[in-house]
Amino acid sequence: MAKILIPTPLRQFADKKDSVELPGSTVGEVLKSLTGQYTDLRRHLYNDEGKLRSFVNVYVNDEDIRYLNKEATPLNAGDTVSIVPSIAGGSAGVAAPPAPPATLSKDEILRYSRHLIMPEVGMEGQLKLKAAKVALIGTGGLGAPLGMYLAAAGIGRIGLVDFDVVDFTNLQRQVIHGTKDVGKKKLDSAAETMLDINPYVEIDRHEVALSSENALEILKDYDIVVDGTDNFPTRYLVNDACVLLKKPNVYGSIFRFEGQATIFAYPGGPCYRCLYPEPPPPGLVPSCAEGGVLGILPGTVGLIQATETVKLILGIGEPLIGRLVLYDALAMRFRELKLRRNPECPVCGDHPTITKLIDYQEFCGIPTQTHEEKPIDGDIDPVEVKSKIDRGDRFVLIDVREPHEYQICNIPQAKLIPLGDLPKRVNELNSADEIIAHCKSGMRSAKAVDFLKQAGFKKVRNMKGGILAWSDKVDPSVPKY
Amino acid sequence: MIKIQKTAWEKMVSHVEGTFPKEGCGLMIGSDGVVQEAVPLPNAYTGPQEDFFVIDPKDLHRVDQESRERGLDVLGVFHSHPDCDAYFSKRDLEHSCPWFSYVVLSIKKGRFDHANSYRPDFDQTEALKEELIYG
Repeated sequence: MAKILIPTPLRQFADKKDSVELPGSTVGEVLKSLTGQYTDLRRHLYNDEGKLRSFVNVYVNDEDIRYLNKEATPLNAGDTVSIVPSIAGGSAGVAAPPAPPATLSKDEILRYSRHLIMPEVGMEGQLKLKAAKVALIGTGGLGAPLGMYLAAAGIGRIGLVDFDVVDFTNLQRQVIHGTKDVGKKKLDSAAETMLDINPYVEIDRHEVALSSENALEILKDYDIVVDGTDNFPTRYLVNDACVLLKKPNVYGSIFRFEGQATIFAYPGGPCYRCLYPEPPPPGLVPSCAEGGVLGILPGTVGLIQATETVKLILGIGEPLIGRLVLYDALAMRFRELKLRRNPECPVCGDHPTITKLIDYQEFCGIPTQTHEEKPIDGDIDPVEVKSKIDRGDRFVLIDVREPHEYQICNIPQAKLIPLGDLPKRVNELNSADEIIAHCKSGMRSAKAVDFLKQAGFKKVRNMKGGILAWSDKVDPSVPKY
Repeated sequence: MIKIQKTAWEKMVSHVEGTFPKEGCGLMIGSDGVVQEAVPLPNAYTGPQEDFFVIDPKDLHRVDQESRERGLDVLGVFHSHPDCDAYFSKRDLEHSCPWFSYVVLSIKKGRFDHANSYRPDFDQTEALKEELIYG
């Protein structure tokens, strides 16, 4: 028998009583009697799994049962059980804003006048922007609008991380680089554009591939990290580094006509691993190089990231923390998913098991460089395929790309069977024939080879490097895309 | 809807202006949706208090008991967002309890700027804005 004190808001569900005497020898039993007698109380105290809700604290006399024996805490005659909700919260601006520099020059005041006349930014906000240090990983599709607008907005210091060189296929979307920049380091080309937009911005150039060895060292000097990368190992690396450094990770990703954006690793909020604990199997999610991307798409998504970065620095509006924005360019529709921090998350959870950076290539199942050098059983070089054609060898060459890719370029001897059609068109192939499969770069044709082998074909090989390698090594007149 | 009487409102504002740049917090007591008194409480968070607050459950327990004895109810919680707007943040939601009104006061440069009141749901996934009348 124990007395239970009912908190004010719950009395309406307990016949307006402020306390009740109920049987039971443990806290759990007494609470069971309580919710048995007043069934409406049940959903207030317990979740669907029958566990006490996270905001419900139970006290026996003056002791929290979490520090006693939880729901098995025994009760003696005369004990009082209290239900006390836990109450906490807090804003989510940048936790410790850097000391703003004293002033803006006359030229800067003129430059930022459209910001300065809005009270939400004003002189104080503009000085916060000037004092802010933002790391931008990648100066490609997402990095292009990010770099240009963050520079224009007057972020004081921007650290660029990239090791790539501008090529022609970048220009359809990476508007920070121009035709004259092809062949130049992306870092130099991006920095040049940004400094042309705003010479008051300081730019750090980190010409490296971000890795477990250098990430913490590079990122530790910045307030906010913006992820503009396009591969899973780097995404997990950036995420884990941000969690370990307690720095927000402004995330964006793009694929074909769709994009996503959110803020990860804000203290208390979810991280990338809370959303995706495991990477997809390698090759399942095509990259932009494989799946294509609408050139304008990274503009939209990158600018959501730029907006959130500036909001975090200014501490205005509602930051995109715990919310994942999904953008569909074809439907022209934005949707929002709620995300929660996973208390079991291996990196940001209550008991993290990942406390330093790991090997992300291995984590994502991507073979390391040394493995790639070894010829994979069943691969054939395009040059050898060409000699077989020239010799008149009897074999079947299949092209497993899509018809619209076949229209861009093709090898005339190849028979087009798109990878997705292969199962229903497998009867067009004879298992007695020698078969060679190719695609754009060798990924999809490797899957085709696996499929055919499982279907009982013995003599199947994959043309290494796809039609891109064919263009490089055999026939330079074949356009690359 | 929640209505906060003038003296209670002034006490809330002066408390959270005083804790600036740290977050200030407290409870609101009254009856029938009208807050008659504000009870400022210490921020019990042991980490940086610029963007987080915790109300010690013992304080809540004590205030609840004392207000019962006077025939009043704990109607809600208030806390400040220093140099931030008065939105119901992800962190607010994650630590919320649906039994109360949550009044968030935006304090900018140490002065009251604006305020909103919210009612969170059971699953801590959403908080609806409710009408707030004060002064």
